Parts: sequence; C-alpha cells; structure tokens
Amino acid sequence: MVELRENEAAVIKALQSHGGNCSFEELLASTSQSNAAVTRALTTLQEKQFVKVSETDQVALRLTEEGLEYAKSGLPERRLLQAVLELGGEATIDQAAKRANIPEQIASVALGWIKISKWCEVTTQLQKVVLKAAGIPDRTNVEKALELISSKHDLPLEQLPADLQESVETLKRRQLLDTRKQRKRYTELTAQGWKALEQGITVPEEISDLTPELITSKRWRNVSFRKYNIAAPVTPIWPGKKQPYRQFLDNLKRKLVALGFKEMTGPIVELMFFNCDALFMPQDHPAREIHDIYFVKTDELGDLAEYSRFIDNVAATHENGWKTGSSGWGYKYSRNEALKLILRSQGTALSARTLASKNLEIPGKYFSVVRCFRPDQVDRTHLTEFNQVEGIVVGADLSLRDLLGVLERFAIDIAGADKVRFKPDYFPFTEPSVELQAYKEGYGWLEFGGSGIFRPELTLPLGIKVPVLAWGIGVDRLFMMRARLDDIRMLFAQDLDWMRKQKVT
Amino acid sequence: MDDLEGLVGRKLPRDEDQLNELLYQIKCEISHPALENQGVLQTTTLQDDSELHIENVDTNRPDTWSTEGIARALRGLMGIEVGLRKYSLSKKPAVEISVDKELRDVRSFIACVVARHPKINDETIRGLIHLQEKLDQSYGRKRRRSSIGFYDFDLITPPLRYGVADPDEIRFIPLEGTESLSLREILEKHPKGVEYGHIVSQHPKLPILLDSQGKVLSFPPIINSNDLGRVTSDTKNILVEITGTSEDTVMNTLTILTTSLADRGAEICPSRVHYKYGKARTVITPSLTERKFTISTRDIRKIIGLDLRPKEMISLLRRARYNGTASGVKSLVVTVPCYRLDILHPVDIIEDIAIAYGLNKMKPRWPPDLTIGGLSPVEEYSDNVRELMVGLGFQEALTFVMTNQEKLFTKMNQEPTQIVEITNPKVTTMTCLRHWLLPSLMDFLSNNTHIEYPQKLYEIGDCAIWDFTQPNRVVDVHKLGCVSAHSHANFTEIKSILEPLMINLGFEFTLKPTSHPSFLTGRVGSILIGDRDVGIIGEIHPQVLENWKLEDPVAAMELDLSQLFMIHKESAGEAPKQPTSERAN
Repeated sequence: MVELRENEAAVIKALQSHGGNCSFEELLASTSQSNAAVTRALTTLQEKQFVKVSETDQVALRLTEEGLEYAKSGLPERRLLQAVLELGGEATIDQAAKRANIPEQIASVALGWIKISKWCEVTTQLQKVVLKAAGIPDRTNVEKALELISSKHDLPLEQLPADLQESVETLKRRQLLDTRKQRKRYTELTAQGWKALEQGITVPEEISDLTPELITSKRWRNVSFRKYNIAAPVTPIWPGKKQPYRQFLDNLKRKLVALGFKEMTGPIVELMFFNCDALFMPQDHPAREIHDIYFVKTDELGDLAEYSRFIDNVAATHENGWKTGSSGWGYKYSRNEALKLILRSQGTALSARTLASKNLEIPGKYFSVVRCFRPDQVDRTHLTEFNQVEGIVVGADLSLRDLLGVLERFAIDIAGADKVRFKPDYFPFTEPSVELQAYKEGYGWLEFGGSGIFRPELTLPLGIKVPVLAWGIGVDRLFMMRARLDDIRMLFAQDLDWMRKQKVT
Repeated sequence: MDDLEGLVGRKLPRDEDQLNELLYQIKCEISHPALENQGVLQTTTLQDDSELHIENVDTNRPDTWSTEGIARALRGLMGIEVGLRKYSLSKKPAVEISVDKELRDVRSFIACVVARHPKINDETIRGLIHLQEKLDQSYGRKRRRSSIGFYDFDLITPPLRYGVADPDEIRFIPLEGTESLSLREILEKHPKGVEYGHIVSQHPKLPILLDSQGKVLSFPPIINSNDLGRVTSDTKNILVEITGTSEDTVMNTLTILTTSLADRGAEICPSRVHYKYGKARTVITPSLTERKFTISTRDIRKIIGLDLRPKEMISLLRRARYNGTASGVKSLVVTVPCYRLDILHPVDIIEDIAIAYGLNKMKPRWPPDLTIGGLSPVEEYSDNVRELMVGLGFQEALTFVMTNQEKLFTKMNQEPTQIVEITNPKVTTMTCLRHWLLPSLMDFLSNNTHIEYPQKLYEIGDCAIWDFTQPNRVVDVHKLGCVSAHSHANFTEIKSILEPLMINLGFEFTLKPTSHPSFLTGRVGSILIGDRDVGIIGEIHPQVLENWKLEDPVAAMELDLSQLFMIHKESAGEAPKQPTSERAN
C-alpha cells in the first residue's frame, strides 16, 4: 500500500479516471479539491515521480464585443441580405440597412463582404447602390467558426476543425476575434504512478488546521498533523507604520525635548509682520517679493491689535533705529504691508511670535518643526513646501560661544556628525551669524544650517532685553543623508511600496 | 588671480581650503560655477589659478563685490596693511551739475565723481562693469532705486544738466548702437528700454543727462550714449554718475565705485550737485566720510563670550580695517570706513571682531541655564492618535497642504466652496490650501494602484479654513484622515476602526445619517460627540473612485482633531483653547 495525503490521493485517482492523461483544468474539474490543493498535490506527486507535468503554449480564441454580438444576431452582410429578400429581392443599400437596423458605416462594410461572396447583384442606379438577391446562401465557414468560438470561452485553436481554421484570420482582420497565447499544463501518470495505483492507495487521517474543536475534544492526541512546506511563498501583511520622514522628525523632536527645548507652534497663514517685519527685514527686501513668498488671494488684511505696542516699536526701528542703537533702514514703514496675509515662508516667524508672547520664559529654549512655503520650482533639491527645524535660546548671559555650543551639540549629539566647524554667515535678522558645517565619515563636510544671535533691532522692539540665540537646520538634507536619498521629492513621495519597506530607524 | 594678488601685494595660498579660510572672514568663498554640487564642499587645489570665482554670502556688503574691495579686506586679514584706509577728495570740484525741478517726482537724485588717471586695462574695465551690474541689480533693486553710468570725461563739456525731455524731443545713439533713436523709440525698441522702461515710462517727460553743449550723456536709468558713455582702457579720466530715487542709495553706490577707482590709483575729483526743487541746496559728491561708533568693551566681551582686553579688541578691529581707540576704561571709539554700508549697529562691528579672532578658535559652551523641554500639547495629542492608527494597522502618509481645486472639489464630486487660494502659484497642481484631508489620501491611493492591496492609510495634517473673526483670518485645523482600500472595503470595516479609536481617546460618539456627494448615499454618517459634529465616515462614492481611477472600493473617515483636543481639554477641566492662539507656554 502507498500512503498519500487526501489531496494527493484525490488527484492521482482523478488522473487515473481520465486514462492517466489530461489537462490541469480537466483534472481540477474532476476533483473536489481547490486549485491550490491540486497544485500542491501535483508538486508532491511529481517529487514522488508518480506524475509528470508538462507545459505547452497554445493559442486561445476569444471573440471581441462586436464578434459576440454577431455570433448572436448574425453577420451584418447576412442581415442585409435577409432585409433585401424581405423587401422583395431588390432594394437600395439605405433601405436594406434601415430595415436590418444596421448603422451606415457597418452597412458599407457589409456591402463589401456581399460583393466578395457574390450574394447579391450590386448595381448603381441614379447614384444609389441597389442590391438584388436571389436566395439564401449556405452558412459560410466564417459563420460556422464564429458560432463554434462563441460556444466556448478561450477555445484552443487546435480544437477548431481544420476547415474552419482559415476563417480565424478573416475574423481577426474584421476585429471580431482576439487570439492570445496561453500556457497549458498537462498531467500524465508515470509507470511508477500506475504501479502505486495497482498496489492501492491509503490516506492516513491527517489534519490540516488545528481547530478549537480538536483542542476541547482532546481529539488532537489521536490525529497526525499535515506537514507544511514552510518554504512556500506567502503574501506579506504590511505593518501599520509611521511615515519614514515623520518618524525621523519625531526622533529629532524627542532629542530636542531632552535637551530642554519646548515646542513652538504657529499658523500657516501668517501675517507679513511676523514673517518679515518683526525679523527686521526691510519692507523692500528682495526676499519679500512674489518670488520668495506666497500671497493669499484676498482683499482682507490681518489684525495685529493684540500686538499694537510692538508694531510701533518695529516701525520706528525700521525707520530710524528707535532706541536700539541702530541707524535703521531709513525708509517710510507701511503698516498695511505688515498686515498682509501670506503663507509662512520661514520657521523664524514662530520664533518672533514666541518672543512676542506673554508666556515667554527667560531663561528658555524653544524649537519648532513646521511646514514652510516658498514659490520655488520643484526639482531634485527644491520643494515648494518643506519642513524647517528652528530653535531659539533666550537667556541673560548668552554669548556667541553658547551659540557655537548649541550648534556643536546639535550636529554631534542629534545629527550624529563626527566633528564641526564654523563659518561666518549672513542673515538679515542675526548678527553675528554663523554657518554650521559638520563632518561625517563617508560624506565629507556638509552645510548643516544657519544661526546667529538675533539683532537688537529684532529683540528690543519685542520687549526682549536679553540675548536670543537662533538656529535653523537643513533637516531635509539631514534625513536624505540618513535614508540615502538623492532626491528631495522622495520626502513626500507618494510611494507606498517604499514606505512599507523602508527600514525603520 | 594675478590682478587680485597685485592689489593685495602678496601671493595668495594655492590651497583652496586655506584661501577660503581667508575669504570666509569677509563672507565670501570660492565657487565653482561649472561644478555645482549638492552641498558637499569641495576640497581641491585650485586647478586653474588664472581665474578665480568668488561668491558673496553677504548680500549687504557691496564693498566685497569687486576685486579692489576683496583685496582691501585681504590686506588687513593678512596683516599687510591694517587699520582704516583713508580716502580723500581733490580740493577743486571737477564738474557742476544742476538738477531740474521736474525731476522731483521722476528720478530725484544724482551723484557724480571724476576719477583721473586710474590704472586700468581691459580686465579691470570688465571688473568695473561687473560691479556696476551687480550694484544695479541688487543694491539698486534692478535700477529702480539707483543706476550707474560711466563716461569718458574728456569728451564732455561741463557743467552738466540733469533734466527732463519729451519722449520725441531728443535723439541719440545708444551704447553699442549704430542708429540714432528718440527716447520713445528706445523705450519701445531697445532691449534695455524694454527691460527697464517701466521704471520711468509712466511719466510724460523722461529724465535726461546733458552736457553744456547739449550732448546727451544718458537716458537714466535706461542707457548711455554711444558717443560719450563708452569707457575703454584708453580712457584717461572716467566720469561716474548715479541717478536714483533714494538719496542714500545713490550716495552709497557712488562711494563703492569711488573707493574701487581710488584703489586703482585714480585721483578723486568731486562734483557739486545743485538741486533746484524744494529747498534749493548744493551737495558735494561723493561723500567719503567715516562714521564713528562708541562701543562698550563690556558689550563686546558679553556678546562674543571671550575675556578680550581692549588692546586685543583694537588689534582685531584693525585687521578688519577699522580704527579703534580706547575711550576711558570702559569703551572704544571705532571709526568705520565709508565703504562699509552694512554697519547699522555696534553688533555689526562686534561680529567683525569675533570673525577676526576666529570662530573656530573659540571654545563652544553649552548654555548653562537649566530649562525644561516639552512638546506642544496639541502635537502630543496628535502623537497619541498616530500611535493608535499605527496600532490599527494603518500606514502613515505625508502629503502637501498645497493642492488645487480639481483635487479638492471636482474629483471629490463636490461643488467648490470658499478656500484659501494663492495669488502667485508656481504650478497648477498647487494653487490653494486644502480644507480637508481625504482628497490628499485619495490622491495617494490613485498613485499606488499597482501596489498590493489592501492599502490602509492615515494622515494627520493641517487644513486651512477661513475664519474672519481670527486675527489671521484663517485657522489651521488639525485633521485625521483615514482610508481603507481593497476588494472588500466597506462601511462596517471603517466603523470598526472608528469605534476602538474613540474608545481609546475616551469619547462616546454617535453616528447620524447624512448626505455628502463624496460618499455613497445611505452609507455615510456624521460623527457626533454630544451634539458636536467632529467628522464624517462612509463608503466613497463610485463616481469619486472613477474620478481617481481607482478600481477597489474605499471606506474612509475624517476627524477634526483640533475639536477632539478641545473637548478632551474641557472634559479634563481645563478652559477651551482656540487652536490659533496655541503658543508655547
């Protein structure tokens, strides 16, 4: 006796009933097993050399929509002929088409076929095509083929009688038929397979699924469990997961919080005042034009009533330096300009808001990770909507050396750089200004961000009498380095596959 | 490079890093226009040392926009010549200029200088033209605030008249041109007229600069005359003229050009400008006077964080080409050269002391103040929701707040409502801010139809909604969007996500049947907490699926997290807070 599993036994017996030789589909139809079970059984039966599976390519025939319609209602040329006969054996093409309910374009095609098959006598009288029919012709091979093909889905070409095979080309040309290549599997019992059947097949009780019933009834003690092919491929279930870039920003935030920074928040639609004026950017500064800032489409202006005392100070500082010790920019400040509604173009707007807030703590450290907007052309290195990480440190005894200390800490502890160096820089709202460069093995020296001490022209008008250190980090670039990306657009990439498979950090 | 070394008076380092170390101190650096790389700083030896490209970081230091200015600063940094460089004017004015009344509202100011016998060749002329263009574009705000003209002074018969003319009254041959054109023709046809004409073309009469013979020097700010306004290496005496709408800008621009020409060995002969409008006055240009600042040594020490002695401060100042003298024990009087237009405040001078000392020589210090960190409460709340959504098996998406009306409305099967639009969009796909999140997620799904299903996505993101009672007229609303797309996605599934989410957030909710064009009728509900509407849930309408070219059903929900946060705080016994007044506390 030969021991086989249930599905294997079913398959080998089904194959026997087909005379030891049949297609996969026939085999599937004659067992009560699922497609997957039959496939699995065939794999193991092949391993046991009871069955041989071979594959051949064959051409399957399938009618197009038009083809299916004609299979039902007849070819248009036959319907046209029918109509001519019904109209007394002679009619113009228009009359016949109308009676047969055939559209004009199709009628002209049908006329062509009528001429070729000589079903009617075709003449032109008074610029009209006239058809004369004598009787009903026999069914053509094309019509026979059409009927046969419509009777079976994906009929293999070989199953079409030899005399009809020629018609396939005609049907294809008339776009009534599609042919497609199909891979066919055939199964065949080997000599060893026949021998096994002669010896007899037994199926010991094997359990595939462990069920609660098996456990509670304690029947599991008396059964054997089917062994799985643990190497078989499965469909993965993808995890719920944070977006890789946001995850990175989360980690960054956590580290900043650990260093004593509090998070600032602020509005996306911002007033020009906080985005620029309060930062001592003169109102005719090139970075305030439409090339650098998105303007909200509205006639409405914002409201700064809550901050009116600051506006007076800021206006005077821009015009003549106010009490800050500065000469100012020397122009006439416009309050209307300050009230314009724009999209925040830099995270520094939040720092200005924080300094103007009643709740500011001195000493204090603050940070923000926010979306900023600039009308840049989007390419490998630019986005029009991007994230900025910014921070300020407020305290009575802060100096340039503390700024360098914050930058060094950031680069080494947070960004994982090996060493840092500093370079003089320029920003309209800081003096001194410092660029942070960080070195990382394998990457060389990289520009990490800009920083400085806020100018007195910024802090004093907002009522802050102590130094404020400010820094901003090119966080996009930092992540690109971590995730080994060379295109900034990947940060917002709508690529689910990438997100599912991106390594978590 | 030869020219620069000639002016500096010493060989410069050939190692790029070493040369950059010097240039960084005046906020310049070597650039490789042909070798733009992605932020990775090149370290190479200069390949071709005949030509050097230097880029300015500092957009407010026009004195470093010329070879002369860079050389002047390098001499100080290299210790060749420290302290203030004095510039002086010849006693006798070389040219008188009268300014007509009519110019007051057209282009009010002019300043001139005559540079006699500068040592120039073709290369230095190219340098001058480069400086002129940069000043016109950047400092002169594309010639609006100021524009520059150079002339061969020996072809001109002073005095000059800066006046106005009818567009058809005067004709001259523009620089590099061959045929004589009227002012109107220049505005209409000449490339410079087309480019800069808008600055003056709205005036019935146009500015014109003439000599005493009535010969045209230029049509400011458009173009010089070809006869007088052409300067070559053979030109012995150069007249420089600046016109503009801001007297400070005009005078400052002239200062920059004058100091460059003086560094080339020219004798500087001033001009007298007679303004005939307002209160008649006469101004001598250029003005090369230095400014003096008194700075307390305590401020210097405090800002830099180094215990420098006044003597050290003065020596560092001199390297940066200032003069400094101790005034009493506690302060310094610093003399600032005329060309340092960027100095507004003592901090600008203090920065130069720090730079001359060397940023990389300072010992960084972590600020000693102890502060307590923390996330903003609303962000912290969102993070909790994000954790739950991840736990429920949803992939987080990150999409743009900017989008367009087609995505927000048309594709969602909706009529447009009032949203926040942008005046100056850059691309048609980003013309406004979203007011709800589901379109962003639908867009995401439609970009991933080739990826395995089921696809379950969520995002917490900002949406912008008009609220004219708010100071900014628009409020940011935090929203949670959530979609599940696969062959069996349906209402039951998405509701079975909403329920545990709400339980975990501590809310009891009810669903009220509603209608919404983006959802299938009869399979959509408002999410209510008490009687407050906090979101929507349902099966996406097949028409919407078709619009996004999706072939699988999508069940979706959207929750207003800003509201949930408020309700959460209320129930926790705290006063409700408007999301826009959310500030660090």
